Amino acid sequence: MESELIARFQALPDTLATTPILAIGLTLGAFFAGNWLFSRIGRPVWLPPVVLSACLLSGVIAVLAVDYQDYQQGARWLTVLLGPATVALGIPLYQQMHHIRAMWRPIVVTLPVAATMAAVYAVVIGWALGATPEVLASLAPKSVTAPIAIGITEQLGGAVPLMMGGLLITGVVATLFVDLLARLLPVKDERILGFALGLNGHAIGTARAFEISHTAGAFASLGMGLTGVFTALILPLVFRL
Amino acid sequence: MPMLRGFLVLVLFFVLGESVRLLLALPVSGGVLGMVVITFTLMLKGSVSDDLARASQGLISVLVLLIMPGVVGVFFTADQFSGQWLAVAAALLLGTFLSVLTTLLLMKAVTARGASDGE
Repeated sequence: MESELIARFQALPDTLATTPILAIGLTLGAFFAGNWLFSRIGRPVWLPPVVLSACLLSGVIAVLAVDYQDYQQGARWLTVLLGPATVALGIPLYQQMHHIRAMWRPIVVTLPVAATMAAVYAVVIGWALGATPEVLASLAPKSVTAPIAIGITEQLGGAVPLMMGGLLITGVVATLFVDLLARLLPVKDERILGFALGLNGHAIGTARAFEISHTAGAFASLGMGLTGVFTALILPLVFRL
Repeated sequence: MPMLRGFLVLVLFFVLGESVRLLLALPVSGGVLGMVVITFTLMLKGSVSDDLARASQGLISVLVLLIMPGVVGVFFTADQFSGQWLAVAAALLLGTFLSVLTTLLLMKAVTARGASDGE
């Protein structure tokens, strides 16, 4: 009687994992727990809430011994929203468009070169050190905002998890490098710093830019949006060659 | 209700983007195509409705929730890429340093030249 109950208890995670609701519940729980932890430790730039949430979630999945494939299957109910969420990025992009008028020349010159080089540097360095094509395809969209980057990686044939890891590291180090180089070069124009943060460090850089000023944040949003669109349109064409 | 109306607009543009991708066999995701089309539509229209603005804000504020399942995979698929960590780390760290440097120098140079042209 008792051992039967224990057996049923042990089978609980596996049984629940056959419905998507466990995956949705775990993801939601980790999302709020990560955000809570983030504000508790004083909102550090180098440790964004998504990293905290993902670590918590991985820990719980491992402890419950839920199969990762089962989890992914259930989480499809959430990830299917990434499509409309990508479309939603067009609205802030439209709202920031008027900033282009204020600085159109530097933006038009910098964007294509810098967004291309962000991918080229990573791919060339990775290739020189012997990374496989799959890994290179996962590294190429490292400066692009996550929902767009997922689409790009799928088109290029890369691995989404590896790309996401690279994306987060890129966001964090881009923020640190912009702060460092702004002092060394020096660059004081908040519009330039914001644009560089958004272009190289996607959402993580943009969050940092809003801490500098509202203007920097607006240019970061613009840089992030334009980089995403530009890279998504160009990279798959170039990568085919 | 209003937020759902905005969500419907987003879903329609996504379906449009996916349809264009499939019909023209483009290597660009349907979401990005939908985003480009909706941005141009709004630029032509000159304004964005409250419903749409609210729905997009709502979705963007929970983006982390939507990308988390992908992030978690790093821990579970990491051994597939063993032996390539040096390449990955160098590409991320050195590559990002170089691209930040490129962006700042280029922006600074063009802004300075634009300012002197204007005078």
